[in-house]
Amino acid sequence: MTTSSFIDFAALVMLAVVPYILASQGTMLAGRTGLFIVSQEGIMLVGASVGFLGAYLFDSLLVGVLLAMLVGGLMGLVLAYFTTTLKLDQFVVGLAVFFLGLGLSSLLFKVVIGVTLQPPIVPTLDAIPIPLLSRIPVLGPILFRQNILVYLSVLLSVALYLLLYKTGMGLALRSVGENPKAADSLGINVTRNRYVTAVIAGMLMALAGAYLPMVYTGTYTEGIVRGRGWLSIALTFFGGWTPHLILLGSFFFAGVEVLALRVQVTSIGIPHQFLRMLPYLATILVMIFAFRGVRPPAFLGQNYDRESRTSS
Amino acid sequence: MNQTPILHVEGINKRFGAVQALKDVDLSLQSSEIHGLLGGNGAGKTTLMNVVYGLYKPDSGQIFLRGRPVTINSPRDAIAHGIGMVHQHFLQINTYTVTENIVLGTPIPHRPTMDLTQARDKIRALSDRFGLEIDPEAHIEDLPMGARQRVEILKALYRGVDILILDEPTTNLTPQEVDSLFESLKLMVAEGMSVVFITHKLREVMSVCDTISVLREGRRLLTAPRSELSEEEIVRTMVGSEEALEDSMLFSEQRRDEEAGIVREEIVLDVSDMRIADENGVLVDDLSLSVRAGEILGIAGVAGNGQQELAEGILGIRPLSRGRVRIGDRDVTGLGTRQILHLGVAYVPEDRLQDGFLPTASVAQNLILGAQRRTPYSSARGVLNRRAITETAVALIQRFHIRTQGPEDMAATLSGGNIQRMMLARAFAHPVRLLILHNPTSGLDIPSVEFVYDLLLSHKREGTATLLISDDLDELMLLSDRIATLYRGRIVGVLERSAFDKYTIGRMMSGVEAHD
Repeated sequence: MTTSSFIDFAALVMLAVVPYILASQGTMLAGRTGLFIVSQEGIMLVGASVGFLGAYLFDSLLVGVLLAMLVGGLMGLVLAYFTTTLKLDQFVVGLAVFFLGLGLSSLLFKVVIGVTLQPPIVPTLDAIPIPLLSRIPVLGPILFRQNILVYLSVLLSVALYLLLYKTGMGLALRSVGENPKAADSLGINVTRNRYVTAVIAGMLMALAGAYLPMVYTGTYTEGIVRGRGWLSIALTFFGGWTPHLILLGSFFFAGVEVLALRVQVTSIGIPHQFLRMLPYLATILVMIFAFRGVRPPAFLGQNYDRESRTSS
Repeated sequence: MNQTPILHVEGINKRFGAVQALKDVDLSLQSSEIHGLLGGNGAGKTTLMNVVYGLYKPDSGQIFLRGRPVTINSPRDAIAHGIGMVHQHFLQINTYTVTENIVLGTPIPHRPTMDLTQARDKIRALSDRFGLEIDPEAHIEDLPMGARQRVEILKALYRGVDILILDEPTTNLTPQEVDSLFESLKLMVAEGMSVVFITHKLREVMSVCDTISVLREGRRLLTAPRSELSEEEIVRTMVGSEEALEDSMLFSEQRRDEEAGIVREEIVLDVSDMRIADENGVLVDDLSLSVRAGEILGIAGVAGNGQQELAEGILGIRPLSRGRVRIGDRDVTGLGTRQILHLGVAYVPEDRLQDGFLPTASVAQNLILGAQRRTPYSSARGVLNRRAITETAVALIQRFHIRTQGPEDMAATLSGGNIQRMMLARAFAHPVRLLILHNPTSGLDIPSVEFVYDLLLSHKREGTATLLISDDLDELMLLSDRIATLYRGRIVGVLERSAFDKYTIGRMMSGVEAHD
């Protein structure tokens, strides 16, 4: 691999990493309060659809992004309400929201745009070179000549790490996902923590979805998320439910994705369906080894019922 | 003692559904005293203190602190008023350090460094002052139960309480840990704090409390300085019956020895080199033991050191990674649980609510559970014979004094003591060669405990081999012929009855091998 083709490859990985980071950090954050979201794929689809439509109709990517996050936040709110307030099974509710998102995303697009031969296009996000840093040989073009969301998603990971492990608020938040009864007994509001993280998680996932048309195709197509939402669940486990390892893991997942795409383009006689399978295959293989030693939040996937304390 | 009590409750009533849990309870706690709150299961001790701690709202009544009426709506209020409570089940975050657990919920500077140095120093100071030895940097999951309890106490002290309520604090502690807990409590009281000590264990109350109150069925029946009370008087108040307690085995080891019969030659259970492992690691290792006919082998150990796995390994509920189990002259390694039970084995599991009975089935159905496919309960085609089941059930209900409306009653309506009687009735409904019991008397009132002990001894006389797993060391020492102590899935040592000593066993429970 020549230097320039390596730079191309690495720059593409940097581009592809964003949805993985955003969706997985959202998954992780909600999981830290015990809420195990499985609706990533659905929320990302809605994010892609709404984000594109907003950007197209209002002629502004920013409006698209904000609308997508608003709807994503609402979906997070729905998840929180059904699991935390109504105490329904998180997995069942999560799948329901996934299907809701699956239908809603196509429906919205068809209602607003209709069926067209020539799909409407929005401009893609511009790269914002960072002065000086972007001139560093090799590293500059890879790391510092990217679009705004690449920078933001990396910064978000750092911020989440500091929040969770270096503040009292993070200590309290994590305690909710480990032992909500203990947290409750010390005056920490379990319900509020869950609602807040669920809404933020929904927003991040929708943003992850909105990123796709704004970077790759310039338009919304059905199934644009292509399983990235499901992969982000695996990635969250891969990253041990910690922001810093999820950030690292995102590069691995994005790397495999770009690699599969590359091999596909160079066409070396392997059926492209097989190559498109690679990211998932790699996921399974890595998971077999990475899952050992991973310790998800102890209360992950369960609903807390304060009343049950009276039974002990 | 005519000073104002630091805490005084008056006319407390609390009802849960149909049950009047507290009836017009008055109680006064003086400052600088350890006040023992004694009573059987369901006496209302914990309920009363949960009212004081703001967990339950009383239906009526008033709480006074230092002579002034107060309203306590939540544990937060209680802590703000200087009342702390250590629950029987610790409320801790296993993955956090001791310091993190203690500061959780208190204002911590939100600086990006989360500097806990100050908190750590304060914890160390408290720990030194009251002899509550702890490493503030240790993670909770690595700590033994005794240390985890010190964390709970420090959690309350850190918040500056001067009234500390301890709910059954000695459960799961070794005798050494109990002693050091009592030392700490005495230091706290010497510095002017007041302690309420909830327990059902008479001897603990007698050894550490200044004042003793006895509750039964939601009423406070007695309060007096320890020096004015005798053990017998207290028990009589706790039990409330006119039964001849002088005969009780709880007071007379002599009676145990008279009724125990002899240990026979025949080996009924033989476990050799047992090892049980699962994804969580090795649970039982290198374990060999044998129980003879007419023998009670006690298994001591802090809860969670492989006791349940040992029982489940013998019964074929858990597969063995290594080793063999023989019952009589038959090798039962690898056999199914049903086949093993058919050899005359009975098992009463620890968590009877979870593992032991079907709450929504009838009492009769529960009583024949496990034998339902045998005649006369089932026909050859497998249809249940209702009449035979009812007859057996009626007989067992009588023989074991199960308090119920009748055999068709739903099992979940029984009280804890009666559920245990039902489980024992089932275990003894058929001839038993080997009996495996896990904490058979936990949560039972004194007459029920007495009943279980009598039953165990009468079967022992008839030659039943018993494996008695218990967290209650007094119980093991009273009943067993030998005691084997488990630590992390291994047997640390085995003592003969003549060599029983609480502290020796306590050392083994914390993994120290006996020197003799």
